[in-house]
Amino acid sequence: MSRLSYSHAIQTVLLAIAVLLPLVIGPYWTHVGAIAWYYALLAASWALLAGYAGQFSFAHMAFAALGGYASALLVGRLGLPLPLAIVSAILLAMVMGALIAALVLRLSGPYLALFTLAISEIFRLVLVAEDEITRGMLGLEVPGFFPGSSDRPYYYLGLALVVLSVLGMNLLLSTRVGLFLRAIREDEGAARTSGIDTTRYKIFVFVVTSGIAALAGTYYGHFIGILTPNIAILPEMGLVIAMAVIGGIESLPGAVIGAVVVYLLSESLRSYGEWRFVLLGLVLILVQRFAQNGLFPFIEKLGRKRLPSQAKVAIGKTAGGGHAG
Amino acid sequence: MSYFFLLTVNGLVIGLIYALIAAGLTLVFSVLKVVNFGHGTLYMLGGYASYYIIQWLGVPPLFGVIGAMILLFVFGIVFERLVIAPVYTDKVERKDEYAIIVTFGLTILLSNLGLVVFGPFAKAPPAFMAGALIAGPLILPYDRLIAAVVAVLLLGGLTVFLKKTSLGQALDAVSQNRESAAVIGINPQRMYTIAFGLGSALAGGAGALIAPIFSLSPSMGELPVVQAFIIIVIGGMGSVGGSIIGGILLGLVQGLGVGYLPDPNRALAYT
Repeated sequence: MSRLSYSHAIQTVLLAIAVLLPLVIGPYWTHVGAIAWYYALLAASWALLAGYAGQFSFAHMAFAALGGYASALLVGRLGLPLPLAIVSAILLAMVMGALIAALVLRLSGPYLALFTLAISEIFRLVLVAEDEITRGMLGLEVPGFFPGSSDRPYYYLGLALVVLSVLGMNLLLSTRVGLFLRAIREDEGAARTSGIDTTRYKIFVFVVTSGIAALAGTYYGHFIGILTPNIAILPEMGLVIAMAVIGGIESLPGAVIGAVVVYLLSESLRSYGEWRFVLLGLVLILVQRFAQNGLFPFIEKLGRKRLPSQAKVAIGKTAGGGHAG
Repeated sequence: MSYFFLLTVNGLVIGLIYALIAAGLTLVFSVLKVVNFGHGTLYMLGGYASYYIIQWLGVPPLFGVIGAMILLFVFGIVFERLVIAPVYTDKVERKDEYAIIVTFGLTILLSNLGLVVFGPFAKAPPAFMAGALIAGPLILPYDRLIAAVVAVLLLGGLTVFLKKTSLGQALDAVSQNRESAAVIGINPQRMYTIAFGLGSALAGGAGALIAPIFSLSPSMGELPVVQAFIIIVIGGMGSVGGSIIGGILLGLVQGLGVGYLPDPNRALAYT
């Protein structure tokens, strides 16, 4: 059994569980699950941006907010039909992503993080300040996708979006582009010397992940029905970073699992109040310190060590999720 | 005119506190090449440390500031040794991201721990000195005056320390070039630890100084640390002197801007 199919088998089982789960659980957990897909979309696309391409951005939630607000305003103010509004919101976010990427091209590491943090905060404050348009902290009401009050359609929509975008991103990473992105992360100068147009691919990865973040934002907005600038606050970004890092910053399915596990845990431990986030911060530091590629690839590796015959076959092959290093 | 003076002096006091925070952040950045995203929570921790030292030991408030700086220095050293040190080894991939993530994790950990342990309600330590200095139209509470004087002393001390002592020069050498510093017998690892400890102590001192003026809350570090990021960018990343000037400037702009701009809320959004 190769490592590829080993990972795939686990992922298929988890997917099947996710599909069947709403038939068993009540409406509350279906709702929680549907929100978990929002975080999963964000964590997976952020993992592509930060883990694969090495572009550590703090502006990811700002793109989600941009998508959500743009789509809501296009429907609410201009009366566009919903699908058209969503597509234009995502396109708008991709254009903004391209512009910001073009601005920050020369920055890396801490400089990039600071710059994107500043952009994200400015955007959030504009959302708060321009309350004639965005209704500021009062919250903007957003029409829903589906009639009725059941969350089940949203759950399946979210799941479908997660599966499609992870498949799409993995497909992208399996092409030469994936190698280019990793080369840029490891050594941009060397990548450029080898003939990779690093500028173009950095902008490209920013555009793709901004689009997915905006998709997540529109999904969230039309599902919850209300948007506030608080979806772009720093603790939310911290939550997404923690999810991606704990799940595995270099594995998109890992980031999805991380997002779902972290979100479900934080919901089920709700009665412990702030202790949840104390735990989250501690786990984030410990995972980063001792299992840099994330908890789930780490557990998977431990599991594989128990099966030595399979481990030998696995050496030298890279998994679909991708474990560089 | 007196309104102008009042705003200027208040802006100056806040600017000096910003300068303290930013100087610590810059020191860490210039020596370790790490942006400490947890700097704001160290500032918060310093404020609370001073509060509890004053409450439990019954010492005068200024000793609270000193105690807070010592505690934060120790905390910084321990955190650097335990968590940040692996960055310098080859075991860690993606070093920049590693440092951002662990310091950011520290923020999540400490700010929520602060909420649980210290409670969400604001606490105010006793004033350094009651009353206010009244000089003509200018009314300046002694609290602010003392905070400003101590901040100036700390910033002056830091500048002299970095320029004149051999340890300060060693820190400077490492910040300029790690390898060359190592060649002439400076142990960079030790300098990283010291720089992180000093940076934490400066943040803690700033928190302790601001505590009697504004009150303490677990989220008090969020805004000043963003200002500090702005300052170190304005002041030139890695220049301690630049960050001091940048801090004072930003404090003045804010102090005057709130008074003279038509819509302060919106003005803050665009600064």
